[in-house]
Amino acid sequence: MWIAIIAAVVVIVIIVLLYNTLVGKKNQVINVFGTIDAMLKKRYDLLPKLISTVKTYMQHERALLEEITEMRAKAVSGRLSDDEKVDLDNKVTKALGGIMVAVENYPDLKANQNFLQLQSTMNEVEEQISAARRAYNAAVTDYNNAVEMFPTNIVASIISYKMKKVFEISEEQRQDIDTDKLFKA
Amino acid sequence: MKTLSELKQFYQAQLLADLKALEHKRRKVLRKRMYVNTVILCIVAAAVFVTINFRMHPHIIFISIVLSVILAVGAYRLIGKDYIAEFKILIIDRIVHFIDENLTYDRSGCIPKSTFVLSQIFKTKPNRYKGDDLVSGKIGQTKICFSELNAEYESRSGKNRSVRTVFKGLFFIGDFNKNFSCRTVVLPDTAEKLFGRIGQKLQSMNLVRDDLIKLDDPEFEKLFVVYGSDQVGARYVLSTSLMKRIVDFNNKTNRDIHLSFIGSMVFVAVSYKRNLFEPRIFQTLLDFEPVREYFEDLQLAVGIVDDLNLNTRIWTKK
Repeated sequence: MWIAIIAAVVVIVIIVLLYNTLVGKKNQVINVFGTIDAMLKKRYDLLPKLISTVKTYMQHERALLEEITEMRAKAVSGRLSDDEKVDLDNKVTKALGGIMVAVENYPDLKANQNFLQLQSTMNEVEEQISAARRAYNAAVTDYNNAVEMFPTNIVASIISYKMKKVFEISEEQRQDIDTDKLFKA
Repeated sequence: MKTLSELKQFYQAQLLADLKALEHKRRKVLRKRMYVNTVILCIVAAAVFVTINFRMHPHIIFISIVLSVILAVGAYRLIGKDYIAEFKILIIDRIVHFIDENLTYDRSGCIPKSTFVLSQIFKTKPNRYKGDDLVSGKIGQTKICFSELNAEYESRSGKNRSVRTVFKGLFFIGDFNKNFSCRTVVLPDTAEKLFGRIGQKLQSMNLVRDDLIKLDDPEFEKLFVVYGSDQVGARYVLSTSLMKRIVDFNNKTNRDIHLSFIGSMVFVAVSYKRNLFEPRIFQTLLDFEPVREYFEDLQLAVGIVDDLNLNTRIWTKK
């Protein structure tokens, strides 16, 4: 009689621990995604300043700069799903990369103090975004492991926790930035 | 970075003359030590003789041995003091300036204990702490400071006394090239090497450390375990390229490396079994070999700036 009760209690305790582990990992994923969001906002806040600084110098990249302005407007409108946010982020990263490469053609711009300071700040924000993405992938991997591995997979299937996707760059963005194509005025 | 052939030239042109004078002193030190050894042997022999002949308590032999060892250690220190000091002023100081003119060398200075504890690399607070050979200055845009350290923890239980080494080797502090407010500690990974996944689970349950950070460079993860106060912050500090550099540095030195990143500074502790920058007593000073070793040990520390790319200042910290 007693043994049955103790065994039942032990089993319940184990289930509770497994459940809590899963919930903790799911929340960590949400937490880190929030951090990515915060970092992205920092970058979107810097974009207008960047555009106004380079606009007067970079005559040939008008189209690209306008594209970035559009993307920014979309990003801060606040009406995006998580997937759309990620997609937009990838597009902006690629466009920004193109701008930074094109700067090489404008020695005056490269020497401009405002631009240099802005460049340092942007480097820092980009690196922080990259760090946040890596942390997100780590949190997702941790969560996915718990959803798939024994014994947490039992509890996971009971409460219908599914695996999540890590941050990936789509094929088209994986290709190197073709600078010529980008800067057809 | 100076090359070995440049060092050899420097050694032949500048150091040999002083080394010859010091060699003289070394021989004198050796002779004095031999003298002390004979005196001790006589004391112990006398104690044995007295004990046997006068049927005294054998404890006297033990007491005499202990006393004479204490005497010897004291005598050795006294004898060697001037020789070691002169060696450091004439040779080590010059090698430091040969590596970089802007560095300053203080033979008796060391990294303060408060800084050592602040780095949070070693959780045990040492109660025996000494060091020497402090080098400081600026390499490019990076301020650095390093010294040899020997930190121990002595625990007494009743009559028993055991001394455990907390850290022995080279301790380096540098100005890091990014601003950050989190705390990240990188330690050699023993548990994962031995126990794989279970080892990692045990590491994550460590109560005295921050949260375990699992990073995305497999080679790095194999060699190191990382604890940090912020998951994103730790990855901001430990970028993909920095992790590769730390792995390369680890393989280059082939020693236990510990790092921590606190308050926009980086602390690096490289474990050494031997004493650094000490002059030889039992072998000739005139060889190039020891000079090369001093140079390489110093170069290792100064080289951390390049190895960790600390002079790349493309972020807001300049």
